[in-house]
Amino acid sequence: MRIRFVAAIAVVSLSAAGVAVAALPKNKALAIMHARHEGMEKIGDTNKLIHRELASSSPFAPAVKSGAATIAALAKQSSGWFPAGTGPEMGKTGAKAEIWQNQKDFAARLAVFQRAAVTFNAAAASGDMTATKARYADLIGTCNSCHDKYRMDMHH
Amino acid sequence: MPRQIPHGYAPLSRRQRVWDLPVRVVHWLLAGLIVFSWWSVHNHHTDWHIWSGIAILTLLIFRLLWGFFGSSTARWTGFIRGPRGVVDYLRGRWYGIGHTPLGALSVVAMFLALAVQVGLGLIAEDEDGLFFGPLSILVSTDTSDWARDLHETWFETAILGLVGLHLAAIIFYRVRGKSLTRPMITGDAALDSRAQPMRPGKWWVALICLAVALGIARWVVAGAPGLPH
Repeated sequence: MRIRFVAAIAVVSLSAAGVAVAALPKNKALAIMHARHEGMEKIGDTNKLIHRELASSSPFAPAVKSGAATIAALAKQSSGWFPAGTGPEMGKTGAKAEIWQNQKDFAARLAVFQRAAVTFNAAAASGDMTATKARYADLIGTCNSCHDKYRMDMHH
Repeated sequence: MPRQIPHGYAPLSRRQRVWDLPVRVVHWLLAGLIVFSWWSVHNHHTDWHIWSGIAILTLLIFRLLWGFFGSSTARWTGFIRGPRGVVDYLRGRWYGIGHTPLGALSVVAMFLALAVQVGLGLIAEDEDGLFFGPLSILVSTDTSDWARDLHETWFETAILGLVGLHLAAIIFYRVRGKSLTRPMITGDAALDSRAQPMRPGKWWVALICLAVALGIARWVVAGAPGLPH
């Protein structure tokens, strides 16, 4: 009985490994997807604040600085947000399945985003508003470059 | 002594002008831009979507002004009628030119619905904080997010509903033997001989209206400088 149970598990895991989405248990996958969603939402909310500051005639530098630091920290975490098995087949997500079909391209774009977040954070920390605005525009460009290809609407 | 002629059998004069060029151009540009706005926002072209909204804003301002200074059939006072006018029309006692008293209600509803839609879009921001309506900086992020949700709901209900009604009316009249589409393309229609001919507006007035509309749209794109942030 016990042996049969173990054998069944072995078969299931092997077949799962066969489609290369193995290893990640469902609860772990969902936890990562949740963290990803929260992190992305936080980046979005921070963008909304930074945009308003930078569009204002007298931006409040400390708000931009702390926002830039928030995004840089989240960008760093984002490396762990897209393991195989956390796509739309697992649950509700804005991440398209294409991410895992083009892993190399996706990883490259994510790296460009992470570098842009670091550069923007440095510019904001320096207090140079002109440079901050330029680096922020670069950063937004990297968000769009990925979202255009790999993000889908998830509301409703 | 005039003979009483039942509606529908009125003698039709030869084709004459009913819609001037600005009315027709605004109409078809609006139709195209509404489709384009819908397409662009569903295909990751939010930047184009915003510019399309600005173009619609410009057309609405122009049309508002042309409704005061344009041709007789373009004027608000020329076609907006009270309930009695609508009832008279439904009973076949309307011999006018241009929008019927019932159609006028639809025109006003469409104009207002589009104005609300553009207004919401101007203060909206996208979910990810990557795209912003030019006036979103005047309101809080909560208001902008709320405006985006309503912008979407308003499109799916009011705008699509009115577009549907509009298309249904076109089919209804077509079935009854009257084309509404052709006059909106050529500008001419066979009219009831009792109708007053259209009094055309001046081309240079249209240019002034356009210049004012473009000026206001430009100011909006710049974030409405001068308004308190």
